[in-house]
Amino acid sequence: MTTEPPAAERSLWARLRRTVGDGTVADFVDRGVSHPLFWLLPALLFIGVFQLYPMVEVFRMSLTDTSLISSQESYVWLENYRRLLGSERFYSTLRVTAIYSVGSIVLQLGLGLGLALAIDYGVRRGLRGPLLTRVVVLSAWVVPGIIIGLVWRIMLLETDVGVVNNALGRLGFEVVPFLSDAGMAVVSVIAAGAWRGTAFSMIMFYAGLKRVPEDLYRAAKVDGAGPVARFRYVTLPQLKPVVFVVTILVTIYSLNSFDLIFALTNGGPGRATEVIALAMYKSAFESYQMGMAAATAVVLLVVTLTVTAVYFRVFDISEEI
Amino acid sequence: MGGNTDTTVGRLRSGVSWSRLRRYCYDGITYLVYALAIGFFLFPVLWVLSLSLRTEGAVYTSLELIPAEPSLDSYREVLDSGILRWLWNTLFVTVLTVAGIIVVTTPAAYAFSRFEFRGRRSLLLAVLGFQMISPIVIVLPLYDIMRTLGLTESHAGLVLLYIGLQIPFSLWLLKGYFDTIPTELDKAARIDGCNRLQTLRYVLLRPVMPGIAVVAIFNFVLTWSEFVMAYTMLSPGGEDLYTLSMGIYVFDNQLATQWTNVAAAAVVGIVPIIAFFVALQRYFVRGLTEGAVKG
Repeated sequence: MTTEPPAAERSLWARLRRTVGDGTVADFVDRGVSHPLFWLLPALLFIGVFQLYPMVEVFRMSLTDTSLISSQESYVWLENYRRLLGSERFYSTLRVTAIYSVGSIVLQLGLGLGLALAIDYGVRRGLRGPLLTRVVVLSAWVVPGIIIGLVWRIMLLETDVGVVNNALGRLGFEVVPFLSDAGMAVVSVIAAGAWRGTAFSMIMFYAGLKRVPEDLYRAAKVDGAGPVARFRYVTLPQLKPVVFVVTILVTIYSLNSFDLIFALTNGGPGRATEVIALAMYKSAFESYQMGMAAATAVVLLVVTLTVTAVYFRVFDISEEI
Repeated sequence: MGGNTDTTVGRLRSGVSWSRLRRYCYDGITYLVYALAIGFFLFPVLWVLSLSLRTEGAVYTSLELIPAEPSLDSYREVLDSGILRWLWNTLFVTVLTVAGIIVVTTPAAYAFSRFEFRGRRSLLLAVLGFQMISPIVIVLPLYDIMRTLGLTESHAGLVLLYIGLQIPFSLWLLKGYFDTIPTELDKAARIDGCNRLQTLRYVLLRPVMPGIAVVAIFNFVLTWSEFVMAYTMLSPGGEDLYTLSMGIYVFDNQLATQWTNVAAAAVVGIVPIIAFFVALQRYFVRGLTEGAVKG
């Protein structure tokens, strides 16, 4: 048996049906309610106004010379893209974004999987600590990105305030230019990104691990599979759909990273950590070139979609969604 | 009697202890992983807390987590700077956004899970497609749209924008959750005379609650932390409109090197959301592991 609607409401409904008769109000409500559009309309409206239309609009803007400071606007067609592809800065941001993304994906997926395995193992064995570890890692994930950038900037300062350099100094090391050296700055940004993002991979992998049927492990054990073989032939294949989703989402987040880098280095030193999203934002709101910025945004979108399409190919997973 | 049995026993015994040894070894590695993870992920938060409790001079010298002369001066200054106002703004925007998302997304997720209609699959994929698009890509046209609609410099406008941006992922999560609930429940309700609205309200809402909890917690965290949209839409509106993230960012730029104050502001931004999450993470993880994550 299932929960029934309260008696009062049912009798009211029944009375309504009796007085109005089938085919009018009650029927109208019934029919409206049984049409999917009734349920979907609000969500579709929101998506239309705040996602679909702006999507179309960003393409259109990228073909114009629209600017934040003048209301004049004319179509320059592919001029923005021509200028973009001809600029040194564009290739530098592409390179930085690629390095940052690859570093982030490898680090976050690797750490996330390692932690998920350690936590799952601890829970199965009844060890102490998996809950605390999970809570601590997840806590890092909920800290606002802008604050993470700020906190890491303070920690990595190259004076005695910077705790990392202070500690290294006491151990007899030289000051490490975490934020003022181009190469080190990229590493710092990736590390801070991993501090924030690992929790997401961890919790998704953990959710995936919990759904691997215990029987499969037992069967593998009976067949004489050791821990490594069990991981390779039971855990990994079972995790494949989750790995797919996590890889795609982490890639999208990394390619489009903004707030943490904005607060940590603001793209510096020079343009060493200027990712595409940051360059786009700056050309829109610092140079007021909305058209150019829109073209940059379109490139970012194309890059994201291309990488996603490649993943779909590689994982060959179409039937599982 | 004799050596034969002894060696068998011996082999057995050594076999047992060998596997036990291996197990201890794994346990040890696991504990090491826990310790490293807790150290790495907890330290920055503890450190900023430590900085915030120091006097301005003490930031240069000591490395102790617990400052020798703790002081609340920085908090006094930060609280005077309007941070409580930003805290309130953030809470207001976040709660309304989460409520809005649940109200809009639940029926849509229900429809995708329970209706058969032409184009259902392609519509679902189209909605999911928007999940591939980061909000940062469309921030420029969004700024134009919000300006045209007169929604910039307004919290209500920001709430509508957040709802619009965060629907696809929430819809995906919740639809997956509805899918785990057997349709026999619907059929039984139908036989009992429920229409679809009543079925959702009286029959499906309870089993889908863990999924709604995940969506609520996830969006709460996301909205609380959001920066780009708030910064873009609210910036011209003056400090009273700021959310925490943008307030702290602007505050940090103004203060430059008053580290204790910056740290105190960061703590005010971190503590409420961590407290919220630690209190509710159980439901978040349970909801995720039970149903929402589908391949």
